[in-house]
Order: sequence, then C-alpha cells, then structure tokens
Amino acid sequence: MNATPILQLRKISKRFGNIQALDHVDFDLREGETHALVGENGAGKSTLMRILSGVYTEYDGEFLLDGKPVHLHSPHDALDLGIAMIHQELSVMPELSVAENLFLGRQLVTRWGTIDWKKMYNTAEQELARLGFEHLDVRQPLGKYALGTQQVVEVLRTIVSGARVIIMDEPTSALSPAEVERLIHVIDKLREDKRSIIYISHFLEEVVRVADRITVLRDGQKVATLDAAETNTSHLVSLILGREVNATLPPAVTSADGHILLEVNNLTSDVFNDVSFKVNKGEVLGIYGAIGAGHFDLARALFGMYRFDSGNITVDGHRFKPRHSARYAIQHGLAYAIESRRKSLLMDEAIYRNVTLPHLNRIGSLIPRQSQELKLAAPAIQMVNVQPPDPLNPVGTLSGGNQQKVAIARWLTFPPKVLVMSEPTRGMDVGAKSEVLSILRKFRNDGYGVLVVSSEPETILTVSDRVIVMSHGRVVGHMENKDLNKDVLMRLL
Amino acid sequence: MTTQTEKNPEIAVSPPKPLISGVWMRRITALAPVWTLLALGLFFSLTSQTFLRPVNLNNILSQISTLAIFATGMTFVLLTGEIDLSIGAVAALTGMICAYMYANLKVQEPFPLLAALGTGTLMGFLSGTASTRFRIPTFMATLAMSLIAGGLTTYLSKGRTISQLPEVAVFLGSGRISLDLPLFGVIEIRVLVIVAAVSLLIGHLVLRYTRFGRYVYMTGASKPAARLAGVNTNIILTAVLTISGFFAGLAGVVSTGRLGSALPDAIPSFLIDTIGAVVLGGTSLSGGRGGMVQTLIGLLIYGTLRNGLDNIPSIDPLLKDVITGIVLFVALVINVLLAGRAPRDKTA
Repeated sequence: MNATPILQLRKISKRFGNIQALDHVDFDLREGETHALVGENGAGKSTLMRILSGVYTEYDGEFLLDGKPVHLHSPHDALDLGIAMIHQELSVMPELSVAENLFLGRQLVTRWGTIDWKKMYNTAEQELARLGFEHLDVRQPLGKYALGTQQVVEVLRTIVSGARVIIMDEPTSALSPAEVERLIHVIDKLREDKRSIIYISHFLEEVVRVADRITVLRDGQKVATLDAAETNTSHLVSLILGREVNATLPPAVTSADGHILLEVNNLTSDVFNDVSFKVNKGEVLGIYGAIGAGHFDLARALFGMYRFDSGNITVDGHRFKPRHSARYAIQHGLAYAIESRRKSLLMDEAIYRNVTLPHLNRIGSLIPRQSQELKLAAPAIQMVNVQPPDPLNPVGTLSGGNQQKVAIARWLTFPPKVLVMSEPTRGMDVGAKSEVLSILRKFRNDGYGVLVVSSEPETILTVSDRVIVMSHGRVVGHMENKDLNKDVLMRLL
Repeated sequence: MTTQTEKNPEIAVSPPKPLISGVWMRRITALAPVWTLLALGLFFSLTSQTFLRPVNLNNILSQISTLAIFATGMTFVLLTGEIDLSIGAVAALTGMICAYMYANLKVQEPFPLLAALGTGTLMGFLSGTASTRFRIPTFMATLAMSLIAGGLTTYLSKGRTISQLPEVAVFLGSGRISLDLPLFGVIEIRVLVIVAAVSLLIGHLVLRYTRFGRYVYMTGASKPAARLAGVNTNIILTAVLTISGFFAGLAGVVSTGRLGSALPDAIPSFLIDTIGAVVLGGTSLSGGRGGMVQTLIGLLIYGTLRNGLDNIPSIDPLLKDVITGIVLFVALVINVLLAGRAPRDKTA
C-alpha cells in the first residue's frame, strides 16, 4: 500500500466553552485506505469529522491535504477538494431515478443545455457495473430499492462526483446484516479504486473487518492508532474505555419468572425483526441499541405509532387487538413518555395542568376546577421533587431534568401497569440524571413495570434489572444487569 | 446520537446566560402584538385628527365585528395546527340560505336563522369528518368544502342578490341598542359588536377553562403526544372545524344583515382578513400557541390599521391594501424573530 498520507491532521484542538472537545489529536489517512474512528459518545469523533468536512472552521492545529496546508471555510470547500461526508440519515431523492440520484446536482447536459439522458444512463450503468451493481435498473426510481441499496447509491454518488476522501458516519446502523455485507463489499471495491475512507461506527466487529487502521479517541484525546489486523474487539473496548475488560460474556437469561405485565412476542416490522421480551411486575427492563437499531420504533409500535407486520403484544393477560391506537394501549395499562419533552409537554402551561392532562376524564366535570386539579397533581409533583416546587409555574421555565420529572409525574397519579420511556435522561446533567433514574426505580419498587429504551449505555446500566441488546433490528443479547457493564454492551452491538 | 451530544457539549452542563432572563424574554415576546397595537394607535392619533374621535373608535369596533365572529372559530382551528379555508364561502351560503328561505320560501322566523346556523355547523362537521376519517389534510378538505359552498350559493341565488331579509338578521347585523352605563351615561351600541364580543368571550372561556380547551391546545402542540396522553385527536379536530363552521354560519347571517342583502358570491377577503388578524395576534399557524385574547388584539391591530389609513387623507385609498400587506409582513417577521429567541428544549 502507498504510504504517503493524502490527508493529515496535526495537533488539532477544539474547545466548546469550558469543554475540551479535541486535545492535540493527530490523524492521517493514506490513499486507498479505510481508516476507522472509534470511541464513546462524546469522545470527539463527530467534532473531528466536522473539522474535516468544513463544518467547524475554527480550531487549533494543522490540516494538510497532499502535504499542503489547507483551511476549509465551508462544507462546500471540502467537496471542492474531494472530501465528501455521508451522514447517518440518507439524503437521497426516492422519487428520482437511480441515475438521477447518482448525478444529483451535476446532471450531464447536452450542448443545448438539456439533460443528456442517454449519456447519463450509460455512464450510470458503467459506474454501477464497475462496482458490482449491474443488477440495478438506473431508470427505476431509487425509492423502489431497499434502504441498503439507497445507501450504496449515496456512496457511489460521492465517487461519481470525484471525491477522494469519503467520510462515513455510522453507515450501517440502519441496515440489515445482508445489507451490511453488501456495503462492506462496496468498500472493498473503493479500496481497489484508490479511494480513502474514514469509517465511524459503534459496531466494533464490523470495524475490525472493514478497516485497515483504527484510531481510538477517548475524552478528546487520541489513545492509539492500530493496524486492524493486529487487534480485536475486546482490545478495542479496553482502549475505548481505558481499562482492562473481562474476556468472557456473561450468561444469557433464558426465562424471566414472575408476574408478567407486558409480553411481546415475535414483533416484526421493516426495521425490527422477531423481537420478543417480557416485563415483570416490579422490574425495569432496559432495551439498548445504537441509533438505528430499531428499538425506538419498537417502543412506538407498542402504542400503535409504528406499524408492525406480525407478532403480538399482551398486557397483563390481555392481548392487544391488531392495529391498535395509542388510546387503546393507554386504556389497557401502558403509558409512554417519548424522548422529546418539547413534544410531550405543554411548555406554556402550568406544571399541574401538564400532570393532570391524561386524567381529566377522571375528574368527571367538563370544566375542571383548579383546586380539584391541584389536589390530584400535588402528590405526584411532590413525589418527583420538581424544583422549584410551585405547581403553578409554566413547565417551560423548568430545567430539562425537572421537565422530565413532570413528564413522569403525569403517570404517577393513576399509574399504568407498565411505563415505557425512550431516552429518559437525554440532555440532562449528572444530578438530574440520577434523580430521574431513581424515580423510575422507586416506581418499580411500588410494583409496576418499567421499560427503558435508550442508546446511552450509562442510563441502561444504572436503571435496569434486565437488559436486552438490539442490533440491526434483532435481539442479540439478553442478560441480568448485575452481570453487565459497558464493555459487554459495546461488544454485543 | 453522537452528533447531538458532541455538538454542544457545554449546553448540558451550563446554559449560556442570556442577555435578558428567560421569563422576561417570554413576557416581551408574548406582548409583541400589544406593542404593535400601541404603536399603530399612537401613530394614527398623531397623524390624523379624526382617528381618536369616539365616533371613529366605535367605527373600528363595528368594522372588525364580523371578522371577530369568523376569528373566534378560526382561533380554535389554528390552535390545533389545522386550517379552515371554507369560512368565506360557508358564510356566503348561510347568508343566502337565511335570505332565500325567508324571501322565496316564506319560511317563518326563526327557522331561516336556525337553518343557516345548522348548515354552517354541518359543513364544518363534514370537513372535519372527511379530513380525519380519510386523512385528507384540512387544507384540502376545507378547500373542497369552500367550492361546494360557493357553488351551492350561486345555485340557490341564480346569481341574484336577495334584499328581503328576516328581521333577526337585520337586527343582528345593523341593529342598535342603548345601554345606560353608570359612568358613561347612555350610549348606543351596535348589536353586531355585542354578538362579536359574546362570541370571543365564549371562545375564551371554552379554551381557557374546559377540558375540551386543554385538549385543543395539546392537539396543536403535538398530535402524537396528545394521543399518548389519551386524547382522541380525531374528535378534537372534527370538533374545532365544526365550531369554525358554526361561527362562519353566524358571521354569514350577521354580515347579510349588515349589508342589507344576501350576495350571490362570497367576499374573498373574509378568509384572508380572518387568518391575518388571528395570526397577527400571536396565535401560531403551527398550533399549540395563542388564544382568544391574542385574537382580540390581532383584530384590534387589523381594525386600527385599516381604519387609520382611511383617516389619513393624503394616502391614496387604492394603496391601502399594499400598506396593510406590508405592515402585516413586518409584524409577522417581528413575531417570528421574537419566537425564535424564545427558550427551546435542547433535546428537540
């Protein structure tokens, strides 16, 4: 392999306020190399990528391209120099044909300025054939093909546009295993084509397979750059976490005994596959997965807000009818606090009104009196210890953590059998996090079931009794939390 | 998501101190329409000698009264994040039905009035049902309803104006009653103004104090979240469109009475003026924010602006719409800018 780096970063540092996001990080990329970047959330991967792709223009350190210093002023600059970034969310046009997507923004034209369809289709066919995708019909709308194919087309687009450096941010998180294989195949082709790839992923096994070299970041610092051939996942995990890890995985739980409050059997949709689990009385079940693993859509499916094709849901012995509504799920004992507090709370309204909202029908009167409502809401508000404790304050004036407490308090007045929460602690500081999680544990101790769905390993490990790990839409692990720690979660992905 | 947490790591720890504290920013933001109203009022009092006369102020009130009845219904609809484009056509139809039944079919009072109100309510209900059952956006459902109502009006009237109106309509639209108020002495007030005030007041009480009102706000703030709080959002959406239909029906009868005749076609400016006034007041087009008090202020701004321009002789009356449009633009831009500064949830 050619050893001259086409891209070099030297002693890159970047601060946000009093947080040192990157601290003298060195990074280089050789021609035709796939260089993976791994680390925990917040380790600095995204910051580094934003510098590389021209999003962050202010930083300390040197940025060399082909040995010459450059300074990018915008993502457009980066594209001009042949650096393309592929984001986690696809940016393809499903209504347009495969060929149009390949040439998006730079369609081939005839000398009269009209689009040269013949040339575009021919070139598209040639490019696809060269990379092993001759079976795609370039005239068909891209939306007809599966997500993985769309992603491949997006990758190919950067190549057609002449990119030499392609940054892929979590490219496989939403793909099925077969689609992942296909993407890896494409990356192999790109390597033959002398393109360089920066590959960011949570999936370490995949990283070891795909990458030539791997750079590990931790707390904004570079820990090591390794040859992929000389490392393995547990070694990577120990570098990422900065401590020795146990080599063996804990035993899987096969059955959970107890009074089953929520039972999900073989639930299958386009993004999750054959998922089964149980939540017992007095238990917190955590579902962990990377973004795109399908666990958030799974939670929505419990409330009829995401369509599933087969499988069933049973709450405390009552099996849900097919195509149920959110109201139906709530009436049968489920409650759901979604990840966006802004969407679930009325920010302009008083705390107590947010708490009583789902219970107004129990007050009976069509014109709820403030005194009645306060009486109903006060115990719950007190229980979660909202600060400041005045129930008349608008929710919008509270901190994120206290808003989340209100979102939980809402369900403490007349508790559901199982409370489902997505990302219960997102965007909170440490103190608020632990408070919110201890409220959930207390709720569990009172004999209810809790289902926590999250992509934050800390949250899952702090609050759960049992944990299910999902990856690419499937359950890949089921364990007692006492046997678990971060490195296990990381390796299971 | 990694990008979320790494993008602004400092925010989770300590939010940057804003120049003005959140509470005050909120208050200023909420009051922006009031400042607009005061500024316009001050401007016209200085530039026109006739503007502040009681006769003229009374004029403003009656000018915005019909609009206020439309706006009461529209506020409900906009609060849920939906829209009703049929109000102008529905009002034309109900006015025509009222006059047609009385003049051509010789139906006794009060049945023409009841039939008119019933028709408005029914048309709103149909738009709502069509939109919730078949998932047609209210924009399209009410647009179609607008065509239907407009067509029925033309069909009924055969293109002719009907000037023979039931007494109720005349009373509501152009009647006056004298009130003996302790401080002001005897004043004469238009029935129309009272109808408008009562509509707004009822709307305000329903939105502010009933369970239904709470559900309206919640539905507009976030439909998925409303459903997750057990709210049947389909019923709420159908209900707000039905309410809007009722008030459009009432406004139709009232405006017929005010004009002294039922016209064979809709007055298109009703729709635009209503939406303009409600949004000017600060009710959000995307739902969840606003209310009747805001609508009242929006109506006053609108009325002040339109009337004030009439009172400045040097302004070409043909340019009135242009100026109104520009002021509308400026006021909306200011509202949007201020709303953009309002504190946000970091996780959204």
